[in-house]
Amino acid sequence: MLESKEITKAFGSKTAVDHISLSLEKGHVYAMLGPNGSGKTTWMKMAAGLIKPTSGQMLFEGQPVNIDSRRKIAYMSTEPFFYAWMTVKDVGAYYADFFDDFSWDGYHAMLRQMELEESMKTKTLSSGMMAKLKIAVTMARDAKIYMLDEPFNGIDLLARDNIRRCILEHADENKVLLLSSHLVEEMEAIADKAVFIHQGKLMEVDDLEEMRVERGASMADRYREIYGHTEE
Amino acid sequence: MLKLMKYEFRKTWFTKLILLGITAVAEIAFLIGLYLEKETTLGLSVLLLVFLALGGVLVIGLESVVTLHRDLNTKQGYMLFMTPNTSYSVLGAKVLECSLSILIGGAFYFALGSLDLTLLFAKSGELNRLWEIIQDFLSRMTFANRALIIDMEGMASFVFCLLAGWILTVITAYFAVVISAALLNGKRFNGLLSFVLFLALSWFIGWVARIATASIPSINVLLLVDGAISLAFTAVMYVITAIIMERKLSV
Repeated sequence: MLESKEITKAFGSKTAVDHISLSLEKGHVYAMLGPNGSGKTTWMKMAAGLIKPTSGQMLFEGQPVNIDSRRKIAYMSTEPFFYAWMTVKDVGAYYADFFDDFSWDGYHAMLRQMELEESMKTKTLSSGMMAKLKIAVTMARDAKIYMLDEPFNGIDLLARDNIRRCILEHADENKVLLLSSHLVEEMEAIADKAVFIHQGKLMEVDDLEEMRVERGASMADRYREIYGHTEE
Repeated sequence: MLKLMKYEFRKTWFTKLILLGITAVAEIAFLIGLYLEKETTLGLSVLLLVFLALGGVLVIGLESVVTLHRDLNTKQGYMLFMTPNTSYSVLGAKVLECSLSILIGGAFYFALGSLDLTLLFAKSGELNRLWEIIQDFLSRMTFANRALIIDMEGMASFVFCLLAGWILTVITAYFAVVISAALLNGKRFNGLLSFVLFLALSWFIGWVARIATASIPSINVLLLVDGAISLAFTAVMYVITAIIMERKLSV
């Protein structure tokens, strides 16, 4: 459904994503893993159409990502990006204006779960509340692909449970969910595939069930094997 | 596009509201000064209204450029570029909202100025001297080394020419901001290079306009043609800028 072919992005002399070829198939929840600066965010932003690749291609359903793909891909950036003048209600109205798949009912339900009020101003939200708002508005869309960059950052344990439940509710055989996070154990409870990226290069893509059965290893074990020596 | 324009307006409405508020206060002071014959109040309010008329459209244009810069260089740009809108629509909404605001703002101040001058003229014979001074001042104004014609048509042509020129300047600044964000991002002297580009383009466009209008005998026709040339260049700059955004811009 979403595929990158030899995609590369360089910022000046630094190559953030280096010839990554990766195909994400519907019906799976992918965990994209790697240390800071490994290229996860840049890859996602290229898939969202926010960053133009230096070379290679990003394809959605066989076509280069474009305006149509933005209608079907729901992307949540790790950084706050709402206009400072917006209230929580304004954020919903903005998404409703531009995305046909946005559901007010879904948004309201998630705001209740996240204990957010429509009248709250985004510029006064704490980082945790902002993270919840980003999740709520992104998951209120009925998209084909959800890409969530660090969805658990700054979120307390109980809210994390809510988010995990919400993500799993959206997982079905016709959708792709792609999440990046440093909380590897958290991701293990959600994902069924793991994408390991290191220094801009794709290391491997693993089926987690297969890994557990055949190698007796968890995603966290594999993470330590791949990155352990570089982290120390 | 209308939805994008709605949000472009929403980003800048507060400044416009402040301008409108100050203008209302200045206008009330003008009327008080005029009808209660308080000359100091009248003089100060006229000064303030002239300043607002000139500065108001400048502020609208400058804020529009600053907003574009913020949209391209901060995370709030995701709000625009993750939506299913092409760069042509995103930029088009900005150009249209800014142009309409400048034109409406300019027309508003022109109408207000005309109304106030009429009131001033009608109020008292003693103030006729002031009207003569204003006429004298206006008659000294020139464009392309030619004296302006001081009547409603002449002034309207002059205002149109000024506003169209200002819209073109704003769009040229858009172009420089986009070049800076899309092609020069991360490079040394990025800001300086894009500013030099802006100055060079402005000079070139002015040169083309001067050559194109050099043989036009009527000052009013010259003003209209110059304004039309500015709007034509605005359209060209818009297309080139949108193409660069569509192909090269990362936010």
